[in-house]
Amino acid sequence: MEGQDSLQEMRKDVDALAALARQLYEASEDFPAVNRNSKRILASVEMLKINLEEA
Amino acid sequence: MNREAPYWNPYLERLTRDSLERLQLKKFKRILTWAYSNSVFHRTLYHDAGVHPDDINSLDDVRRVPKVEKSMMQPIQRKDPFPYGDALCVDLEDVCVFRQTSGTTGQPVYQPDTWQDWEWWMECWATLLWAQGYRPHDRVFLPFGYNVFVAFWAAHYASEKIGCETIPGGVLDTKSRILKIQELQATALMATPTYILGMADTARNQLHLDPAALPITKITCAGEPGALIPATKKRIEEAWGAKVYDHAGATEIGAWGFECSCQPGALHVNEVMFLAEVDDLETGNPVTELGRRGKLIITALDRFAQPCIRFDSKDIVEIGEDRCECGRTYKLFKGGVIGRADDITKVKGVLLAPSAIEDVVRSVQGLGNEYEVIVDKKGDADNITLKVELAEDMADAAMAELKAVLATQLRLKTNLGYNLEFFALNSLPRYEVKARRFKDLRKKER
Repeated sequence: MEGQDSLQEMRKDVDALAALARQLYEASEDFPAVNRNSKRILASVEMLKINLEEA
Repeated sequence: MNREAPYWNPYLERLTRDSLERLQLKKFKRILTWAYSNSVFHRTLYHDAGVHPDDINSLDDVRRVPKVEKSMMQPIQRKDPFPYGDALCVDLEDVCVFRQTSGTTGQPVYQPDTWQDWEWWMECWATLLWAQGYRPHDRVFLPFGYNVFVAFWAAHYASEKIGCETIPGGVLDTKSRILKIQELQATALMATPTYILGMADTARNQLHLDPAALPITKITCAGEPGALIPATKKRIEEAWGAKVYDHAGATEIGAWGFECSCQPGALHVNEVMFLAEVDDLETGNPVTELGRRGKLIITALDRFAQPCIRFDSKDIVEIGEDRCECGRTYKLFKGGVIGRADDITKVKGVLLAPSAIEDVVRSVQGLGNEYEVIVDKKGDADNITLKVELAEDMADAAMAELKAVLATQLRLKTNLGYNLEFFALNSLPRYEVKARRFKDLRKKER
Protein backbone atom coordinates (compact mmCIF):
# COMPACT_ATOMS: atom_id res chain seq x y z
CA MET A 1 0.00 0.00 0.00
CA GLU A 2 2.72 2.48 0.95
CA GLY A 3 5.39 1.44 -1.58
CA GLN A 4 7.08 4.31 -3.42
CA ASP A 5 5.27 3.57 -6.70
CA SER A 6 1.83 3.48 -5.14
CA LEU A 7 2.61 6.65 -3.15
CA GLN A 8 3.51 8.40 -6.40
CA GLU A 9 0.29 7.18 -8.00
CA MET A 10 -1.75 8.42 -5.05
CA ARG A 11 -0.04 11.81 -5.18
CA LYS A 12 -0.97 12.15 -8.84
CA ASP A 13 -4.58 11.27 -8.04
CA VAL A 14 -4.67 13.83 -5.24
CA ASP A 15 -3.32 16.52 -7.57
CA ALA A 16 -6.04 15.65 -10.08
CA LEU A 17 -8.66 15.80 -7.33
CA ALA A 18 -7.36 19.18 -6.18
CA ALA A 19 -7.49 20.52 -9.73
CA LEU A 20 -11.08 19.37 -10.18
CA ALA A 21 -12.21 20.80 -6.83
CA ARG A 22 -10.43 24.08 -7.59
CA GLN A 23 -12.17 24.24 -10.97
CA LEU A 24 -15.57 23.73 -9.35
CA TYR A 25 -14.81 26.31 -6.70
CA GLU A 26 -13.72 28.95 -9.19
CA ALA A 27 -16.69 28.32 -11.45
CA SER A 28 -19.29 28.66 -8.70
CA GLU A 29 -19.10 32.21 -7.39
CA ASP A 30 -22.87 32.62 -7.83
CA PHE A 31 -23.72 29.09 -6.71
CA PRO A 32 -23.14 28.90 -2.94
CA ALA A 33 -24.01 25.22 -2.59
CA VAL A 34 -21.32 24.22 -5.07
CA ASN A 35 -18.89 26.92 -3.98
CA ARG A 36 -18.94 26.08 -0.26
CA ASN A 37 -18.88 22.32 -0.78
CA SER A 38 -16.00 22.47 -3.24
CA LYS A 39 -14.07 24.73 -0.87
CA ARG A 40 -14.63 22.20 1.88
CA ILE A 41 -13.38 19.44 -0.42
CA LEU A 42 -10.26 21.52 -1.01
CA ALA A 43 -9.65 21.57 2.75
CA SER A 44 -9.93 17.78 2.85
CA VAL A 45 -7.68 17.46 -0.19
CA GLU A 46 -5.02 19.39 1.73
CA MET A 47 -5.13 16.61 4.35
CA LEU A 48 -4.53 14.07 1.62
CA LYS A 49 -1.53 16.13 0.52
CA ILE A 50 -0.21 16.27 4.10
CA ASN A 51 -0.64 12.53 4.49
CA LEU A 52 1.27 11.78 1.30
CA GLU A 53 3.84 14.57 1.26
CA GLU A 54 7.22 13.48 -0.03
CA ALA A 55 9.87 13.42 2.68
CA MET B 1 -10.82 -0.83 4.85
CA ASN B 2 -8.50 -3.03 6.88
CA ARG B 3 -9.44 -2.45 10.52
CA GLU B 4 -6.36 -4.35 11.63
CA ALA B 5 -4.04 -1.80 9.97
CA PRO B 6 -1.81 -0.75 12.88
CA TYR B 7 -1.11 2.79 11.68
CA TRP B 8 -3.36 5.66 10.61
CA ASN B 9 -0.58 6.60 8.20
CA PRO B 10 1.74 3.62 7.52
CA TYR B 11 4.01 5.81 5.38
CA LEU B 12 4.67 8.79 7.67
CA GLU B 13 4.57 7.08 11.04
CA ARG B 14 7.54 4.88 10.12
CA LEU B 15 9.78 7.32 8.29
CA THR B 16 13.49 7.07 8.94
CA ARG B 17 14.95 9.80 11.15
CA ASP B 18 16.70 11.40 8.15
CA SER B 19 13.52 11.49 6.08
CA LEU B 20 11.49 12.77 9.01
CA GLU B 21 13.90 15.62 9.66
CA ARG B 22 14.08 16.50 5.98
CA LEU B 23 10.28 16.74 5.91
CA GLN B 24 10.22 18.78 9.12
CA LEU B 25 12.72 21.29 7.73
CA LYS B 26 10.73 21.63 4.49
CA LYS B 27 7.53 22.21 6.44
CA PHE B 28 9.16 24.58 8.92
CA LYS B 29 10.43 26.79 6.10
CA ARG B 30 6.99 26.75 4.51
CA ILE B 31 5.10 27.82 7.65
CA LEU B 32 7.76 30.41 8.52
CA THR B 33 7.55 31.90 5.03
CA TRP B 34 3.75 31.88 5.24
CA ALA B 35 3.75 33.69 8.60
CA TYR B 36 6.39 36.17 7.44
CA SER B 37 4.38 36.99 4.33
CA ASN B 38 0.92 37.18 5.90
CA SER B 39 1.22 38.33 9.52
CA VAL B 40 2.39 41.75 10.68
CA PHE B 41 3.09 40.27 14.12
CA HIS B 42 5.41 37.54 12.82
CA ARG B 43 7.11 39.71 10.18
CA THR B 44 7.92 42.36 12.77
CA LEU B 45 9.16 39.75 15.25
CA TYR B 46 11.49 38.15 12.71
CA HIS B 47 12.60 41.41 11.19
CA ASP B 48 13.57 42.75 14.62
CA ALA B 49 15.55 39.57 15.28
CA GLY B 50 17.34 39.86 11.93
CA VAL B 51 15.94 36.56 10.67
CA HIS B 52 14.48 35.94 7.22
CA PRO B 53 12.88 32.62 6.18
CA ASP B 54 15.54 32.22 3.48
CA ASP B 55 18.16 32.03 6.25
CA ILE B 56 16.76 28.79 7.63
CA ASN B 57 18.48 25.90 5.91
CA SER B 58 18.90 23.32 8.65
CA LEU B 59 17.16 22.27 11.86
CA ASP B 60 20.03 23.96 13.74
CA ASP B 61 19.09 27.23 12.00
CA VAL B 62 15.59 26.90 13.45
CA ARG B 63 16.98 28.03 16.79
CA ARG B 64 17.67 31.46 15.29
CA VAL B 65 13.95 32.05 14.96
CA PRO B 66 12.57 33.91 18.00
CA LYS B 67 10.25 32.05 20.33
CA VAL B 68 6.68 33.13 20.93
CA GLU B 69 5.08 33.14 24.37
CA LYS B 70 1.43 33.34 25.27
CA SER B 71 2.07 36.72 26.90
CA MET B 72 3.09 38.09 23.46
CA MET B 73 -0.23 37.04 21.92
CA GLN B 74 -2.50 38.57 24.56
CA PRO B 75 -1.76 42.27 23.83
CA ILE B 76 -2.11 41.99 20.05
CA GLN B 77 -5.58 40.48 20.20
CA ARG B 78 -8.99 42.16 20.54
CA LYS B 79 -7.83 44.50 17.76
CA ASP B 80 -8.33 44.50 13.99
CA PRO B 81 -8.78 42.20 12.25
CA PHE B 82 -11.12 41.75 15.20
CA PRO B 83 -10.76 39.83 17.45
CA TYR B 84 -7.51 38.17 16.42
CA GLY B 85 -5.24 41.10 15.60
CA ASP B 86 -1.95 41.02 13.72
CA ALA B 87 -1.13 37.32 13.97
CA LEU B 88 -4.02 36.35 11.70
CA CYS B 89 -2.71 35.08 8.35
CA VAL B 90 -5.96 34.54 6.44
CA ASP B 91 -9.00 36.60 5.50
CA LEU B 92 -11.48 36.82 8.35
CA GLU B 93 -14.06 35.30 6.01
CA ASP B 94 -12.03 32.11 5.90
CA VAL B 95 -12.14 31.64 9.67
CA CYS B 96 -14.82 29.06 10.37
CA VAL B 97 -14.35 28.31 14.05
CA PHE B 98 -13.42 30.21 17.19
CA ARG B 99 -11.78 28.73 20.28
CA GLN B 100 -9.99 30.29 23.21
CA THR B 101 -7.57 29.19 25.89
CA SER B 102 -8.88 28.66 29.40
CA GLY B 103 -7.26 31.80 30.76
CA THR B 104 -5.75 30.02 33.78
CA THR B 105 -2.50 31.94 33.20
CA GLY B 106 -3.97 35.32 32.26
CA GLN B 107 -6.20 36.80 29.60
CA PRO B 108 -7.46 34.04 27.26
CA VAL B 109 -5.86 33.79 23.81
CA TYR B 110 -8.30 33.60 20.90
CA GLN B 111 -7.65 30.94 18.31
CA PRO B 112 -9.07 31.11 14.78
CA ASP B 113 -9.21 28.06 12.54
CA THR B 114 -10.15 27.71 8.90
CA TRP B 115 -11.80 24.60 7.49
CA GLN B 116 -8.34 23.40 6.53
CA ASP B 117 -6.94 23.99 10.03
CA TRP B 118 -9.91 22.29 11.58
CA GLU B 119 -9.41 19.30 9.27
CA TRP B 120 -5.79 19.30 10.45
CA TRP B 121 -6.85 19.22 14.11
CA MET B 122 -9.00 16.18 13.32
CA GLU B 123 -6.15 14.57 11.44
CA CYS B 124 -3.86 14.93 14.48
CA TRP B 125 -6.53 13.41 16.71
CA ALA B 126 -7.33 10.62 14.23
CA THR B 127 -3.64 9.65 14.27
CA LEU B 128 -3.64 9.31 18.04
CA LEU B 129 -7.02 7.61 18.37
CA TRP B 130 -6.07 5.02 15.75
CA ALA B 131 -2.78 4.45 17.61
CA GLN B 132 -4.79 3.83 20.79
CA GLY B 133 -6.93 1.20 19.08
CA TYR B 134 -10.05 3.20 18.17
CA ARG B 135 -11.79 1.56 15.21
CA PRO B 136 -15.10 2.04 13.36
CA HIS B 137 -16.86 -0.53 15.56
CA ASP B 138 -16.25 1.60 18.67
CA ARG B 139 -18.99 3.62 20.32
CA VAL B 140 -17.29 6.65 21.84
CA PHE B 141 -18.75 8.75 24.65
CA LEU B 142 -17.50 12.32 25.17
CA PRO B 143 -18.56 13.74 28.54
CA PHE B 144 -17.40 17.33 28.21
CA GLY B 145 -18.95 20.79 28.00
CA TYR B 146 -19.12 21.62 24.28
CA ASN B 147 -18.20 25.32 24.43
CA VAL B 148 -15.49 27.87 23.55
CA PHE B 149 -12.66 25.71 24.87
CA VAL B 150 -11.19 23.27 22.35
CA ALA B 151 -11.08 20.43 24.93
CA PHE B 152 -12.36 17.32 23.11
CA TRP B 153 -14.01 19.04 20.13
CA ALA B 154 -11.40 17.78 17.67
CA ALA B 155 -11.54 14.36 19.33
CA HIS B 156 -15.25 14.28 18.60
CA TYR B 157 -14.76 14.99 14.90
CA ALA B 158 -11.73 12.69 14.63
CA SER B 159 -13.80 9.90 16.14
CA GLU B 160 -16.42 10.54 13.45
CA LYS B 161 -13.69 10.65 10.79
CA ILE B 162 -12.41 7.22 11.86
CA GLY B 163 -15.98 6.01 11.61
CA CYS B 164 -16.69 5.45 15.31
CA GLU B 165 -20.22 6.02 16.52
CA THR B 166 -19.70 9.23 18.47
CA ILE B 167 -21.93 10.27 21.36
CA PRO B 168 -21.84 13.93 22.46
CA GLY B 169 -22.28 13.76 26.24
CA GLY B 170 -22.38 17.50 26.91
CA VAL B 171 -24.92 19.29 29.14
CA LEU B 172 -25.63 16.20 31.22
CA ASP B 173 -24.74 15.72 34.87
CA THR B 174 -22.29 13.01 35.81
CA LYS B 175 -24.92 10.50 36.85
CA SER B 176 -26.81 10.95 33.56
CA ARG B 177 -23.61 10.50 31.63
CA ILE B 178 -22.82 7.23 33.38
CA LEU B 179 -26.33 5.97 32.78
CA LYS B 180 -26.10 6.95 29.11
CA ILE B 181 -22.84 4.99 28.80
CA GLN B 182 -24.63 2.01 30.33
CA GLU B 183 -27.74 2.44 28.19
CA LEU B 184 -25.82 2.75 24.90
CA GLN B 185 -23.07 0.28 25.84
CA ALA B 186 -20.31 2.74 24.93
CA THR B 187 -16.88 1.14 24.49
CA ALA B 188 -14.62 4.18 24.80
CA LEU B 189 -14.50 7.37 26.82
CA MET B 190 -12.49 10.59 26.80
CA ALA B 191 -12.06 13.15 29.59
CA THR B 192 -9.55 14.58 32.05
CA PRO B 193 -8.09 12.04 34.52
CA THR B 194 -9.70 13.97 37.37
CA TYR B 195 -13.15 13.74 35.82
CA ILE B 196 -12.76 10.07 34.92
CA LEU B 197 -11.86 9.25 38.54
CA GLY B 198 -14.77 11.39 39.75
CA MET B 199 -17.14 9.53 37.41
CA ALA B 200 -16.00 6.24 38.91
CA ASP B 201 -16.70 7.57 42.44
CA THR B 202 -20.15 8.80 41.38
CA ALA B 203 -20.96 5.45 39.75
CA ARG B 204 -20.03 3.54 42.89
CA ASN B 205 -21.32 5.89 45.59
CA GLN B 206 -24.42 7.41 44.03
CA LEU B 207 -25.55 4.85 41.47
CA HIS B 208 -24.24 1.75 43.28
CA LEU B 209 -22.81 0.68 39.97
CA ASP B 210 -19.35 -0.79 39.41
CA PRO B 211 -17.74 1.20 36.56
CA ALA B 212 -15.62 -1.84 35.70
CA ALA B 213 -18.85 -3.66 34.83
CA LEU B 214 -19.57 -1.12 32.07
CA PRO B 215 -18.38 -2.06 28.55
CA ILE B 216 -15.73 0.72 28.37
CA THR B 217 -12.48 -0.86 27.10
CA LYS B 218 -10.36 2.24 26.53
CA ILE B 219 -10.15 5.73 27.94
CA THR B 220 -8.25 8.64 26.44
CA CYS B 221 -7.21 11.33 28.88
CA ALA B 222 -6.19 14.89 28.13
CA GLY B 223 -6.20 18.35 29.68
CA GLU B 224 -3.89 17.62 32.60
CA PRO B 225 -1.13 15.16 33.47
CA GLY B 226 -2.31 11.97 35.16
CA ALA B 227 -2.79 9.24 32.61
CA LEU B 228 1.00 8.80 32.57
CA ILE B 229 1.47 9.17 36.32
CA PRO B 230 1.76 5.45 37.17
CA ALA B 231 -0.38 5.45 40.33
CA THR B 232 -3.12 7.54 38.69
CA LYS B 233 -3.17 5.38 35.56
CA LYS B 234 -3.42 2.27 37.76
CA ARG B 235 -6.32 3.72 39.76
CA ILE B 236 -8.26 4.62 36.62
CA GLU B 237 -7.56 1.30 34.90
CA GLU B 238 -8.63 -0.67 37.96
CA ALA B 239 -11.74 1.45 38.52
CA TRP B 240 -12.95 1.13 34.94
CA GLY B 241 -11.44 -2.20 33.91
CA ALA B 242 -10.15 -0.42 30.81
CA LYS B 243 -6.88 0.63 29.20
CA VAL B 244 -6.01 4.27 29.83
CA TYR B 245 -4.05 6.36 27.34
CA ASP B 246 -2.58 9.81 27.61
CA HIS B 247 -2.62 12.61 25.09
CA ALA B 248 -1.12 16.11 25.11
CA GLY B 249 -2.12 19.21 23.24
CA ALA B 250 -3.11 22.84 23.61
CA THR B 251 -5.45 25.31 21.95
CA GLU B 252 -2.64 27.39 20.46
CA ILE B 253 -0.60 24.35 19.39
CA GLY B 254 -2.79 21.41 18.45
CA ALA B 255 -2.84 17.74 19.46
CA TRP B 256 0.90 17.08 19.47
CA GLY B 257 1.50 14.00 21.60
CA PHE B 258 -0.02 10.61 22.26
CA GLU B 259 0.51 7.37 24.07
CA CYS B 260 0.14 4.36 21.74
CA SER B 261 -1.55 1.07 22.57
CA CYS B 262 1.81 -0.42 23.64
CA GLN B 263 1.65 1.91 26.67
CA PRO B 264 5.39 2.65 26.72
CA GLY B 265 5.06 5.00 29.70
CA ALA B 266 5.74 7.86 27.32
CA LEU B 267 4.14 10.14 24.76
CA HIS B 268 5.00 9.94 21.08
CA VAL B 269 5.41 13.34 19.46
CA ASN B 270 3.53 13.48 16.16
CA GLU B 271 6.67 14.67 14.41
CA VAL B 272 5.12 14.89 10.98
CA MET B 273 2.74 17.57 12.20
CA PHE B 274 4.96 19.17 14.86
CA LEU B 275 8.58 20.12 15.41
CA ALA B 276 9.37 19.60 19.09
CA GLU B 277 12.49 21.12 20.66
CA VAL B 278 13.44 20.79 24.31
CA ASP B 279 15.30 23.61 26.07
CA ASP B 280 17.24 23.35 29.30
CA LEU B 281 15.23 25.06 32.04
CA GLU B 282 18.09 27.24 33.21
CA THR B 283 20.42 27.78 30.25
CA GLY B 284 17.92 27.55 27.41
CA ASN B 285 20.36 25.33 25.52
CA PRO B 286 18.96 22.40 23.52
CA VAL B 287 18.47 19.16 25.42
CA THR B 288 18.75 15.91 23.46
CA GLU B 289 20.26 13.33 25.84
CA LEU B 290 18.17 10.43 27.10
CA GLY B 291 16.75 11.12 30.57
CA ARG B 292 17.31 14.89 30.51
CA ARG B 293 14.39 17.20 31.23
CA GLY B 294 13.56 20.55 29.74
CA LYS B 295 10.89 22.88 28.46
CA LEU B 296 9.02 22.05 25.27
CA ILE B 297 9.29 24.58 22.43
CA ILE B 298 6.95 23.51 19.68
CA THR B 299 5.96 24.39 16.12
CA ALA B 300 2.74 23.29 14.45
CA LEU B 301 3.98 22.61 10.93
CA ASP B 302 0.66 22.65 9.06
CA ARG B 303 -1.52 25.17 10.87
CA PHE B 304 -2.02 28.32 8.88
CA ALA B 305 -4.69 30.75 10.17
CA GLN B 306 -2.77 31.74 13.29
CA PRO B 307 0.58 29.98 13.06
CA CYS B 308 2.24 28.45 16.10
CA ILE B 309 5.97 28.78 15.48
CA ARG B 310 8.52 28.01 18.20
CA PHE B 311 5.87 28.43 20.86
CA ASP B 312 7.10 28.26 24.45
CA SER B 313 4.59 25.74 25.79
CA LYS B 314 5.90 25.88 29.41
CA ASP B 315 5.42 22.11 29.46
CA ILE B 316 8.21 20.13 31.11
CA VAL B 317 9.18 16.93 29.30
CA GLU B 318 11.89 14.28 29.56
CA ILE B 319 13.73 12.83 26.58
CA GLY B 320 12.77 9.15 26.26
CA GLU B 321 13.97 6.12 24.32
CA ASP B 322 14.30 6.28 20.52
CA ARG B 323 12.19 3.22 19.85
CA CYS B 324 8.80 1.87 20.82
CA GLU B 325 7.43 -1.63 20.28
CA CYS B 326 4.67 -0.13 18.13
CA GLY B 327 7.18 0.53 15.35
CA ARG B 328 6.56 4.26 15.08
CA THR B 329 9.74 6.26 14.64
CA TYR B 330 8.38 9.35 16.40
CA LYS B 331 10.39 10.47 19.41
CA LEU B 332 9.14 9.72 22.91
CA PHE B 333 8.81 11.90 26.00
CA LYS B 334 9.02 9.68 29.07
CA GLY B 335 6.18 10.23 31.53
CA GLY B 336 4.41 12.63 29.14
CA VAL B 337 4.07 16.22 30.31
CA ILE B 338 5.72 16.02 33.70
CA GLY B 339 4.63 19.45 34.82
CA ARG B 340 4.46 23.11 33.93
CA ALA B 341 7.45 25.43 34.09
CA ASP B 342 5.12 27.74 36.04
CA ASP B 343 4.46 25.03 38.66
CA ILE B 344 7.87 23.44 39.10
CA THR B 345 9.34 25.37 41.96
CA LYS B 346 11.94 25.21 44.69
CA VAL B 347 10.58 24.42 48.15
CA LYS B 348 13.08 24.45 51.02
CA GLY B 349 15.75 24.51 48.30
CA VAL B 350 14.47 21.31 46.66
CA LEU B 351 13.09 21.30 43.09
CA LEU B 352 9.51 20.03 43.35
CA ALA B 353 7.24 18.78 40.54
CA PRO B 354 3.60 18.48 41.71
CA SER B 355 3.14 15.31 39.63
CA ALA B 356 5.52 13.48 42.00
CA ILE B 357 3.14 14.23 44.90
CA GLU B 358 0.20 12.91 42.90
CA ASP B 359 2.06 9.70 42.17
CA VAL B 360 2.58 9.17 45.91
CA VAL B 361 -0.96 10.09 46.99
CA ARG B 362 -2.56 7.77 44.47
CA SER B 363 -0.22 4.88 45.26
CA VAL B 364 -1.09 4.79 48.97
CA GLN B 365 -3.94 2.43 49.87
CA GLY B 366 -6.61 4.03 52.02
CA LEU B 367 -6.45 7.49 50.44
CA GLY B 368 -9.08 8.98 48.13
CA ASN B 369 -8.28 10.46 44.73
CA GLU B 370 -8.35 14.15 45.63
CA TYR B 371 -5.60 16.17 47.24
CA GLU B 372 -4.36 19.73 47.52
CA VAL B 373 -0.85 21.09 48.03
CA ILE B 374 -0.27 24.48 49.58
CA VAL B 375 3.16 26.09 49.79
CA ASP B 376 3.52 29.18 51.96
CA LYS B 377 6.01 30.69 54.36
CA LYS B 378 6.32 30.48 58.12
CA GLY B 379 8.71 33.28 58.93
CA ASP B 380 11.57 32.89 56.47
CA ALA B 381 11.08 29.16 55.97
CA ASP B 382 9.04 27.45 53.28
CA ASN B 383 6.13 25.47 54.60
CA ILE B 384 4.36 22.77 52.59
CA THR B 385 0.99 21.30 53.47
CA LEU B 386 -0.64 18.32 51.79
CA LYS B 387 -4.37 17.88 52.25
CA VAL B 388 -5.69 14.42 51.40
CA GLU B 389 -8.96 12.56 51.70
CA LEU B 390 -9.46 9.23 53.42
CA ALA B 391 -11.18 6.62 51.26
CA GLU B 392 -13.16 5.53 54.33
CA ASP B 393 -13.30 6.10 58.11
CA MET B 394 -10.52 4.37 60.02
CA ALA B 395 -9.41 3.74 63.59
CA ASP B 396 -6.67 5.87 65.17
CA ALA B 397 -4.02 3.15 64.91
CA ALA B 398 -4.71 2.56 61.22
CA MET B 399 -4.69 6.30 60.66
CA ALA B 400 -1.29 6.67 62.34
CA GLU B 401 0.08 3.87 60.19
CA LEU B 402 -1.31 5.46 57.03
CA LYS B 403 0.21 8.82 57.98
CA ALA B 404 3.61 7.21 58.51
CA VAL B 405 3.47 5.42 55.13
CA LEU B 406 2.48 8.62 53.36
CA ALA B 407 5.19 10.70 55.04
CA THR B 408 7.86 8.10 54.20
CA GLN B 409 6.82 7.83 50.56
CA LEU B 410 6.70 11.59 50.16
CA ARG B 411 10.16 11.91 51.67
CA LEU B 412 11.48 9.18 49.35
CA LYS B 413 9.92 10.54 46.15
CA THR B 414 10.21 14.30 46.72
CA ASN B 415 12.91 14.74 49.38
CA LEU B 416 10.59 16.93 51.44
CA GLY B 417 8.69 16.79 54.73
CA TYR B 418 5.03 17.86 54.73
CA ASN B 419 2.34 18.94 57.16
CA LEU B 420 -0.27 16.29 56.51
CA GLU B 421 -3.96 17.05 56.91
CA PHE B 422 -6.64 14.40 56.50
CA PHE B 423 -10.23 14.98 55.44
CA ALA B 424 -13.33 12.89 54.94
CA LEU B 425 -14.12 11.70 51.40
CA ASN B 426 -15.66 14.40 49.16
CA SER B 427 -14.47 17.28 51.39
CA LEU B 428 -11.86 18.74 49.03
CA PRO B 429 -12.80 20.66 45.87
CA ARG B 430 -13.72 18.66 42.75
CA TYR B 431 -12.71 19.78 39.26
CA GLU B 432 -14.50 19.06 35.99
CA VAL B 433 -12.05 20.75 33.66
CA LYS B 434 -8.48 21.61 34.67
CA ALA B 435 -7.66 20.74 38.25
CA ARG B 436 -5.65 23.34 40.21
CA ARG B 437 -4.39 21.34 43.15
CA PHE B 438 -1.03 23.05 43.61
CA LYS B 439 -1.15 26.45 45.28
CA ASP B 440 2.06 28.38 45.82
CA LEU B 441 1.03 31.24 48.08
CA ARG B 442 4.60 32.52 48.28
CA LYS B 443 4.21 33.99 44.78
CA LYS B 444 1.46 36.31 46.02
CA GLU B 445 3.58 37.40 48.95
CA ARG B 446 6.49 38.57 46.77
